[in-house]
Amino acid sequence: MSDIHLKNLVKSYGENIAVAGIDLHIRQGEFFSLLGPSGCGKSTTLRMIAGFIRPTVGQILIGSDDVTRLPPEKRDIGIVFQNYAIFPHMNVADNIAFGLKLRKKSHEDIDRAVAFALRQVGLVGYENRYQRQLSGGEQQRVALARVLVTEPRILLLDEPLSALDKALREEMKYWIKDLQKSLGITTVYVTHDQDEALTMSDRVGVMQKARVEQVGTPQEIYERPKTLFVTTFIGQSNVIDVTVRGRQGERLSVDFGDSTVLTRAPVAEVSVGSAAKLVIRPENVIIGAAGAGLSATVVSETYQGALVRYRLSVAGQEIVAERQNQAHLARFSPGEVVGVSWDPDRSEALVA
Amino acid sequence: MRDESPIPLIFKAISVITLAMLAIPVVIVVLAGLNAGDYLTFPPQGLSLRWVISFLTSPTFLSAYGISFLVAAISTVISTVIGAMAALFLTRAGGRVVAVLRAFFMMPIVLPGVVLGLALYVFYVSSGIGLARSLAGLVIGHVIVTCPFVIATVTAALVGFDRSLEEAARSLGASPFAAFRLVTLKIISPAISAGTIFAFIISFGQFEVTLFLSTPNLQTLPMAMYVALRYSFEPTAAAAGIFAIVLVVISMVATSRLVNLKRIFGG
Ligand SMILES: Nc1ncnc2c1ncn2[C@@H]1O[C@H](COP(=O)(O)OP(=O)(O)O)[C@@H](O)[C@H]1O
Ligand SMILES: [Mg+2]
Repeated sequence: MSDIHLKNLVKSYGENIAVAGIDLHIRQGEFFSLLGPSGCGKSTTLRMIAGFIRPTVGQILIGSDDVTRLPPEKRDIGIVFQNYAIFPHMNVADNIAFGLKLRKKSHEDIDRAVAFALRQVGLVGYENRYQRQLSGGEQQRVALARVLVTEPRILLLDEPLSALDKALREEMKYWIKDLQKSLGITTVYVTHDQDEALTMSDRVGVMQKARVEQVGTPQEIYERPKTLFVTTFIGQSNVIDVTVRGRQGERLSVDFGDSTVLTRAPVAEVSVGSAAKLVIRPENVIIGAAGAGLSATVVSETYQGALVRYRLSVAGQEIVAERQNQAHLARFSPGEVVGVSWDPDRSEALVA
Repeated sequence: MRDESPIPLIFKAISVITLAMLAIPVVIVVLAGLNAGDYLTFPPQGLSLRWVISFLTSPTFLSAYGISFLVAAISTVISTVIGAMAALFLTRAGGRVVAVLRAFFMMPIVLPGVVLGLALYVFYVSSGIGLARSLAGLVIGHVIVTCPFVIATVTAALVGFDRSLEEAARSLGASPFAAFRLVTLKIISPAISAGTIFAFIISFGQFEVTLFLSTPNLQTLPMAMYVALRYSFEPTAAAAGIFAIVLVVISMVATSRLVNLKRIFGG
């Protein structure tokens, strides 16, 4: 088995706490992303798994082996760095063969494995090139091939797409995901880009300020954010001040201005009369004729091609709504009074 | 209309003057060494190989050349090893002590050679540990003088060195030592070689420290030239200078080759 257990993982640099107690189980064969803003401790976590940083507290298990005290070369982990770290004094073939030579494989085995890896990453014919003769995307493929030939138990990737231009990034996103899937290798992927995390991952761990705030599938993370940070960091959300009125099973009724609206109830207990945040994605806000739902005034309309975006004023608070730009959907102009509603299951109440 | 030259005329003029100032002494020494006359004069009174032959048949000069070469070779090897290790330590270890140590290692560059030479001389003589007037004592002096140059060139390479290369090697299964040997050392080796050649050139021409540490039977080439010129004004010293220049030029060409290699590898 090559699942990963992180148990109360802490890394502090004096006063400065880079990782403040992470508990995670990354499953066998899964593509797991650590997503969070710059400086939240993603790389530190990844580098502790790789063995470059010794945790201050905590334990790392790969399968049933405690690797917390093992040096990187004993962990059987492949890591791809943000800058790819292609050895500049070796050609592509020697870069890929590096790990196999250290494992004292025979010449024939190495040649065969290198040729296979080059086919796998689509770089046949690049054997004799040097790092300076490779584009960013090609370097990344070499970095992956170099790691994959050693058949590691775990694959770690630290922001591997951030150095590429947008078009290539899109292409590599799917390519890496497909490769990972076909190999079935347990993968931890670090990124600050929500798009990458949502598109590529089986599960995502959203990090903020040295902690993991929420773990879940991309859909869970996006549709059922547990904290305000998660809902605002991933995609866009309207965050509306409301007052709790009462719980009705799975639903919570909250006062929003003069009206009472329903929303999904948080897991946590909430007391009647307390302040809460109502969270709705712009694409879930339904705009209709005046009288249907809450009364709202259109503040502005922004045309975005496939989407039209409205800023609305509802009971003194601003709500952003997005609609598909389709012929059968009416458009609204600033100043117009409209009705606003949403599916209660598409909104969350979060206690700030 | 004509294209503006990208380099202002004044800069070009300054470059030419600088170049001339650097080249003129070399030309003078070479011409003086090829002088046909009896004395070290300039311009030479005709050209001949008379003094070159005199150098090649002079036991004093030949042995001085050999000693200079030997001292430079030994101290260069020692400086390279110590200097490279010191550079590695200075770039990788953190803390306040390191900043102090870095300044300390660089001190021989700023300390006047006479001060260093005098200090070593007094130390050797008064401590009585057998280093006074010995080859070992002279080599130690040269190591102290040349080591900072190795440290400086190797440090320059290590400062820009991407540590993730070493980490990649480790993760691929290399021990710390193997990662260093197979990756770091290979990548910084042009800088180490450049430092080595600097050290050699500096040791070969070293005068002030040597002045205090050499003896008549442990005379380096610069010392022999100085002594020869003090007592006779023969052009043999200038002929010896030609051979010193040849050695330095060879070293410089080798350096530029290595520096080029470094650029190809992208350091
Ligand atoms: N060697 C170090 N010494 C001190 N602080 C560090 C060190 N490495 C990282 N940090 C701090 O730890 C925090 C997390 O860093 P990092 O894991 O690199 O963030 P991320 O990869 O999420 O951008 C940052 O605030 C950073 O400044
Ligand atoms: Mg990072």
